[in-house]
Amino acid sequence: MSSERNGMSQIPVNIPPPPTEADAPAPPAGDRALFTPPIDIYESDEGLVLIADLPGVSVKTLELQVQNNKLTLLGRVANPAPANARLVHKEYEEGDLLRSFILSEDVDHERVTARLNDGVLEIFLPRAAKTTPRRIDVNTE
Amino acid sequence: MPVFRWGESWEPLRDLERQVDRLLESLPFPFPVIRFERRFPPVNLYELDHEFLLTAELPGVSSENLELTLSGGILTLKGKRPAPAGIADDRFRRHERVWGAWERSLSVPERVLEDKVSAQFTDGILQIHLPKAPETKPRKIQVVQGNNS
Repeated sequence: MSSERNGMSQIPVNIPPPPTEADAPAPPAGDRALFTPPIDIYESDEGLVLIADLPGVSVKTLELQVQNNKLTLLGRVANPAPANARLVHKEYEEGDLLRSFILSEDVDHERVTARLNDGVLEIFLPRAAKTTPRRIDVNTE
Repeated sequence: MPVFRWGESWEPLRDLERQVDRLLESLPFPFPVIRFERRFPPVNLYELDHEFLLTAELPGVSSENLELTLSGGILTLKGKRPAPAGIADDRFRRHERVWGAWERSLSVPERVLEDKVSAQFTDGILQIHLPKAPETKPRKIQVVQGNNS
């Protein structure tokens, strides 16, 4: 195969590059602070899997959208304590969680799926159907 | 700088790890991630009229993987955050989340009713309710006049 000839046989063909981070969209209205959740991205046989820690976010409070080639996740986190509670010690910030990514053309945008369990979001980014490599013949004059 | 800094004037919870932090202070610590893991999970503490509310961020920890014990005023949170199963390291393109077993012990305020402590776990947030014990009334101690003068 041509991929072996140029010494690239170790690299899987047609793996979409990881999504690149997009500029965060304008923060939504409201006075909640926004934070960036940590993520993992790994490659599976079918494409890429993106995992984000979204503690306090439920299916109802998660907005996940692909628009053009931008994937945006916004999780709204309700304050765990009643309004009259006094915060006496703080080790983590409370607020909404936002992160967005640019998807490459190699991801099939129509088949992106996601699931949310125990505050962890998993997004499946399937590889677009394999395009047949087009051989370009180079001729000398 | 201690890693843990409870309120200066009032310490409703005392962290057992603080002593260790003091010992580590002067040592060079090249891997900040280790420090981060030592204080996992991060907790917030609220005070209400009738209770203290401790919240902890534990995304990806299922309630089967979570163990809470309270004994002699020491609250221990213990659990495991599983790594994605069967994924080779070289398949990762980005790795920002932490995995593994963790344990953290905190000493609860004395004024808490230990047998009434309850916990709930929703969407990766653990909430532990620590009901306050009723204020103990100051006891008046009668001073009796001694016979020997």
